[in-house]
Amino acid sequence: MLQYAIRRISVLPLLLLVITFSTFYLTRWGPGDPISVIAGQVRDPEVLAQIREAEGLNDPIYIQYVRWLGDASRGDFGESYIRRGFTTWEVISPRLWVTGQLGLAALVVIFPIGIFAGGLGARFRGSWADPTITLSLLFAAAIPGILVVAVLQWLFAVQLSLLPVGGWGGWIDIYWIAGIVAVPIPDPHIYIPLTAYTLGGFVGVARLVRATVLEVNRTDYVRTARAKGLSESTVQRRHVLRNSLLPLVTVVAFSLAGIIEGSIIAETLLGIPGIGSFLFQAIGSRDYNAIQALTVIYSATFIVMNLVADLAYSLVDPRIQVGETS
Amino acid sequence: MSSRQLSGILLGVVGILVLAIGGLSAILLLQGGEAQISTSTETQGLSSSAEIDTANRELRLPGSEPVTLDPHLVTDASSGEYIVEIYSGLVTMNAELEIVPDLAESIEISSDGLVYVFSLREDAKFHDGRVVTAEDVVWSIQRAASPELRSTVTLEYLKDIVGVKEYYYGLNTELAGVVALDERTVQITIDSPKPYFLAKLTYPSAFVVDRSQIESNRNWVRAPNATGPYKLAEWNLGEWSILETSEHHYLGLPSVHRAVYTLAGGSALTRFENDELDVAYISINDIDRARDPSSSLYKYYQFTPSMSVSYIAFNVTQAPFDDVHIRRAMAMAIDRGTIAEVTFNGMILPATGILPPGVFGYTETDKTLPYDPEAARDEFAKSKYANSNMPPIVYTETGGGASAGLDTQAFIEQWRQVLGLEIEVRQADWASFLDLIDSNSAQMWGIGWSMDYPDPENILDIKLHGESRENNTLFSSSTINELLEKARTNLSVSERIAQYQEAESLLIQAAPWIPLWFGSNHVVVSEAIEEWFEPPMTLPRLQHIKLKD
Repeated sequence: MLQYAIRRISVLPLLLLVITFSTFYLTRWGPGDPISVIAGQVRDPEVLAQIREAEGLNDPIYIQYVRWLGDASRGDFGESYIRRGFTTWEVISPRLWVTGQLGLAALVVIFPIGIFAGGLGARFRGSWADPTITLSLLFAAAIPGILVVAVLQWLFAVQLSLLPVGGWGGWIDIYWIAGIVAVPIPDPHIYIPLTAYTLGGFVGVARLVRATVLEVNRTDYVRTARAKGLSESTVQRRHVLRNSLLPLVTVVAFSLAGIIEGSIIAETLLGIPGIGSFLFQAIGSRDYNAIQALTVIYSATFIVMNLVADLAYSLVDPRIQVGETS
Repeated sequence: MSSRQLSGILLGVVGILVLAIGGLSAILLLQGGEAQISTSTETQGLSSSAEIDTANRELRLPGSEPVTLDPHLVTDASSGEYIVEIYSGLVTMNAELEIVPDLAESIEISSDGLVYVFSLREDAKFHDGRVVTAEDVVWSIQRAASPELRSTVTLEYLKDIVGVKEYYYGLNTELAGVVALDERTVQITIDSPKPYFLAKLTYPSAFVVDRSQIESNRNWVRAPNATGPYKLAEWNLGEWSILETSEHHYLGLPSVHRAVYTLAGGSALTRFENDELDVAYISINDIDRARDPSSSLYKYYQFTPSMSVSYIAFNVTQAPFDDVHIRRAMAMAIDRGTIAEVTFNGMILPATGILPPGVFGYTETDKTLPYDPEAARDEFAKSKYANSNMPPIVYTETGGGASAGLDTQAFIEQWRQVLGLEIEVRQADWASFLDLIDSNSAQMWGIGWSMDYPDPENILDIKLHGESRENNTLFSSSTINELLEKARTNLSVSERIAQYQEAESLLIQAAPWIPLWFGSNHVVVSEAIEEWFEPPMTLPRLQHIKLKD
């Protein structure tokens, strides 16, 4: 298994190479470039041409790529064209932390509620409660995130003045009671984006849990376990629980990756300083260096999450021996 | 299965997940803990300052993240807004748009209009208290023009100074036109007498920077030591930036001691209504609401003109716009007055010419080609495309691919009704749009120009002189070129204005542009502000704003 993990991780650079080269090529091939955008309304073509030349943007793309690769492999992603005076990494890292916090918070909310709802659905299969749960979660997932954000902003921020309209204030605020007891309370900025991120996620988890619980209960080994005379609680704990968790574990990693990918619209709408809203700006202004760095982050997240899912599979189910051909 | 067992399972699953994710979160929280810490120090900072009462003298503004705070690189208005507060130069513009000395206390101009001698104020100081010397000014201009800096704007604003072009292109290592005569005196020599030269010097390209800071700290721009009335107190990427008054500035303490710009947070208007901001700009979509006397926003609403003009430009080398009659016909076929009244509820100002209000030479009389369907059709009939060979026409504008701008939709409809022209609208994102214009591949497009200084040269000469490289219409008329060249160096104010006005009216008749709207700002200002100052262009403004006591 360790060998397998190492082998999978060693493919990562190769994958990143292919992805970053494609992005590199596509961004430069399309119309517009960062010099043109930063020039603003005063755009003497001779001056712009001279700066493009000095920045090396006129060199063949493969030479530019090799140069970028050389710098990137030393951890130097260059200066962001739309935040001059800062390295790309300096601009991205605080934003990455913001997006990551929101993503993790969304998981913390999605999974317990989703699992609970799915479990209830399986438990009350055949009664009115089962389709009601699924349908209402499906309904929640069908509302576009853009709409959810707008409605929540209008209701909770403007009409009720309970929450800020947008922005970001961290994850948790610590309130001190009498200066001794620390009480962690979610920051008010987190509710609206969190709701928007999680509404669509419940139904997937719930349906998966419901289906697996029902399926596992019908399997031969559960029947065998019952036939062996094991108590129902042991059957549920040892066999049903363990096997119902299996597909879920693979979903955790993917959900996080999905949430991070889906953050672009919500962050832009809510003015949350994460990497999603920044990617939106970077593409709009052809900030080559920032686009490249974000591509590396997004792709690496996806690839690593994929690997985590595979490894988690084998940890939960001993029958699956990843990477070991028998 | 019993419900007790099911709930046992569920609890177990929930527990495991909460533990796993909670553990991970705890690790991340510890790593990212500084974000929390900086929030709390900020709150402390609000109340702790002793001599400058920042807590009650605070202005909360919506802001955009500056692209750069380097005055020699800045090209965008949102960065410029901070830069004009933090830095300053020899001259500046006051609230009435008059050019007044800033770091200089007196300016002597030689009789031939070529040599400018600036004497620096004795109390001109950097934020750290150091006195500004002539050498600081010289070094700053050299830096702005240096080839290593790769500024896209320096040449435009400083090219009149002798030697700047050669210096910028690396042909000469000396910049002869700017010298320190002594500790307190700077002499600038320009290539020909240009009455607008001082106006150009108010642009950030000529602002003073601190050489010792720049040479010793490559991250200097994050906390620049400069000479403006405000200093950058805090800048948290993507979240907020805070300006505080500089105690060493010669103006003394202004009413606003501290300006907090929120860089994130979505709609500024909604945050204004939520009392998170003291000021918000209103987009055209929300104007109806702000102007409605029964709306809660109504009493806070203010309207001010801005010194900019939007226009439709034609590439006069491309058919059918190589024919002046087509351009004139299109200009006369659109009824901007009615569109402004009906579609925009009177909230946009139809342009009366190319020069927006506030620019020297602007007059209120409408000089544009009037809306006249009859005349438009006559004009159209005179063109070589009247009967045949009308090529397809594409109108390019910026946009995300949704429906065209409201005014564009109205124009398209009027061109169809009056002239029978079917014009296709193509939307491009900003970067692609610029690419299409720069490569001269667009036929006609909609764009605007914001004045950088209130001189007609800044728009007519740059955008419409036949030999200007920034003239994307490729229109050239020897009569107009000659007028613009004469006006460039004419030291008689009245003659100069007359020359620009003549050039303007000739340009309107030849119609490489159809001027559409003059810019305007719609803003809501909270009761905490006694006197708001909305400059028509990027100007130092915080010093003019008065807060209520």
